[in-house]
Amino acid sequence: MSDITIFPASKIITMNSYQAVATHVAVRDGRILGVGSLDDVTGWGDYVINDRFADKVLMPGFVEGHCHLWQGSIWRYHYLGYHPRVGPDGKVYEGLESIDAVSEKLVKIEAAMPDDDTPLVAWGFDPIYFGGRRMDLRDLDKVSTTRHVVVLHSNGHLLNVSRSVLAAANITSAINIDGIAKDVYGEPTGELQETAAKSMALNAIGLDYNTEASEKLSLENFGRLACQTGVTTATDLHNGLSEEFVRNLVTWTNDDDFRFRIAPAFAGISVPTDQGVARMAELVKLNNDKLRFGLVKLMTDGSIQGMTGRLRWPGYYNGAPNGIWNMSPDQIYTTVQAYHDAGYQVHIHTNGDEASEVTINAIEAALAKTPRRDHRHTLQHCQMADESQYRRMAALGIGVNVFSNHIYFWGDEHRTQTMGPDRARRANAAATAIRLGVPFAIHSDAPVTPLGPLFTAWCAVNRLTASGYLLGPNERITVADALSAITLGAAYSLKMDQEIGSIEVGKRADFAVLEDDPTAIAPVDLKDIPVWGTVLGGRIFSARDED
Amino acid sequence: MAVPLTVIGGFLGAGKTTLLNNLLAQRTGLRFAVVVNDFGDLAVDGDLLADHEGETVELANGCICCTMGDDLFLTLMKLVRQEDPPEHILVEASGVADPQPITNIAVLHNDLTPDAVIVLADAELIEERADDQYVGDTVLRQLAAADLIVLNKCDLLDDYDRNEVIQWLAKQVPEAAIIQARQAQVPTELLLGTGKRASAGGPDHHHGHEGAFSSVSLLLREPMDEVRFMEAIATLPKSVLRSKGIVRFRQKSGRWIFQLVGRRHELTQAMDLEGEDRLVFLGTPDMPGETELRNLIGI
Repeated sequence: MSDITIFPASKIITMNSYQAVATHVAVRDGRILGVGSLDDVTGWGDYVINDRFADKVLMPGFVEGHCHLWQGSIWRYHYLGYHPRVGPDGKVYEGLESIDAVSEKLVKIEAAMPDDDTPLVAWGFDPIYFGGRRMDLRDLDKVSTTRHVVVLHSNGHLLNVSRSVLAAANITSAINIDGIAKDVYGEPTGELQETAAKSMALNAIGLDYNTEASEKLSLENFGRLACQTGVTTATDLHNGLSEEFVRNLVTWTNDDDFRFRIAPAFAGISVPTDQGVARMAELVKLNNDKLRFGLVKLMTDGSIQGMTGRLRWPGYYNGAPNGIWNMSPDQIYTTVQAYHDAGYQVHIHTNGDEASEVTINAIEAALAKTPRRDHRHTLQHCQMADESQYRRMAALGIGVNVFSNHIYFWGDEHRTQTMGPDRARRANAAATAIRLGVPFAIHSDAPVTPLGPLFTAWCAVNRLTASGYLLGPNERITVADALSAITLGAAYSLKMDQEIGSIEVGKRADFAVLEDDPTAIAPVDLKDIPVWGTVLGGRIFSARDED
Repeated sequence: MAVPLTVIGGFLGAGKTTLLNNLLAQRTGLRFAVVVNDFGDLAVDGDLLADHEGETVELANGCICCTMGDDLFLTLMKLVRQEDPPEHILVEASGVADPQPITNIAVLHNDLTPDAVIVLADAELIEERADDQYVGDTVLRQLAAADLIVLNKCDLLDDYDRNEVIQWLAKQVPEAAIIQARQAQVPTELLLGTGKRASAGGPDHHHGHEGAFSSVSLLLREPMDEVRFMEAIATLPKSVLRSKGIVRFRQKSGRWIFQLVGRRHELTQAMDLEGEDRLVFLGTPDMPGETELRNLIGI
């Protein structure tokens, strides 16, 4: 029996500059042996033809350069989002277009629960689509006055809880601290934000989603979602990497059924940097085909829609005070320097343009002290950087991974509340990155927004907000550039472009299997291309689990 | 009994760790826990160290140091739920953190009660920090959250400059009380609000190596007039930094716990407390004496 398999396809978009389009790809030992016409790939010896993809379009497996494994664990709870979303089971979960629809769905879920004690937890709720109306206790009283009900908002900063959770968490009208929303009579409405109130409520019902994200179910769910969206390599871009989780990852990724490659980024200030540098040296020794340590993640500011991102003058359009630093500028300097000096690649969360500025300064200082080419330090999100900042990034060899999905999900809010119409035009400026030669990728930050590189590409290409507004037409990029960003661009940002990101001899046989040709349809239809599944290291994974 | 929680805030380099090291080196007789970001510069080695297990260090004097971990809330819960919970908890906020949300945990949780937010400021650098392009607003936010500001490194300034920075602080945060310190030496009594019983007469002056402070203890033989008392509290001079006591009022029944830190004060209903009614005031050496305080309060 031959160990060479040749896959014919209706079209292969290789992202390989030597031949952009092909019809056949040969695979041996999980790697690409050849790509081209049938003639081009038959010369290596005996082969078998697998024509399962004869009517499909193959692309390099998509690379999600900024997401979190929490995307997998969150699906154990009930989805309540405004937008329809596909679950790991492949089912489409309908969007809910009013608060009443949300509480109706919760009533049904509650009625079907077998006992009275299990908390009802739901996620993905977002009141910004409901014309200013917030969820309150009246909505959740309809669901239950005795069962603990917790509704997590899609932005991750807020939650709504039922009366019983308020009681268990000791939240009453007498408590006067930030983060507890109250009605005109001073009574808590059940909407909570900010650490203390949120932690109290989650603790009262025993919910700990940090731990859940590192459970096996979470990774299996993530694998299914990856398969449905064509993703073969993903990141977990900020993880303290406990000993137990690392041990589990090593075991699980060695399993043939594990459906994606994972590059977890070590939370750089979870321990003092000297210990962190030592930890990184131990972690990279554990790397295998599907597990890639080597990235360090730093968090500098908060989020723009949460008004916690750090903005340069003139600050927030709605007059909110400037956001918060998660690390002081001094600490950004010393931490970047430490990991840079040790030879690691640092991915730095910077939402606001002030955070980007300080981070660019810090990398510049690190490079002045310890010159190093091809460091590939990358600004993550980098939502507000202007042209002058992109020029400095180009000069310093800094890459960017912009949060294109934000244009759709919060573009309207950026225009009207956070950035204002002017700066919102340059939000997530992919075209500027291309024009000025800054290596770039685009991302979902799943589960903040859904995992789905074709959707992310659609956002970068069309720049349409949820209300249909065209936000900053000059920053639109071509379909070809967007497809490059979700394959080679993201692979480059992870220093994995020598082994993934294009269909090219020697690289891993990782493919996204599509039902349609993204280069042959109207750009506005990009997000609607059905994904059949993936191939990972030559092994076929159907999104419908019909292997 | 709820455990009092004191938050130690202030920008990087203001002296938070030094302050905690000073505290840990003392035998206060109190079993407290210190929660820090990381052990880093904390001097918990040598004869102080009794047991070291992962994120927690037990000291020979019965105190505990632990790191915040991923979730401060869970760390605090673990502390108060252990068999023999600490009598007081101090949390060292990160150098860029707003201390307010941390103290909010103690407002909410039944097993904790907020004691004070104490923010350190580097006397030499605070004005420059507050004017910094990137961190100025963070520094001012920290100061605004303070009940007590420890103006540290005062020894590095001459009288003129020191007065100047105190005036600047008073203008920035009119509500906060200010303690001058060098090498982050603050009397434990002021830090944790543990009042000593003083004899009658003028204020007791205490001079430890950790700095000077005064205390006055007033025995209250009769219920007070609540309105008069509250008015007096509002006009206390800034030299009074803390007050704590058990009081009764003519206007309402029961006994009440009164607590004042800086300008912030609160009354909570006292449950089954024994002993006489008494108020203890702690402050800088120039604070009013017993007679003056009795006149002010009208007792």
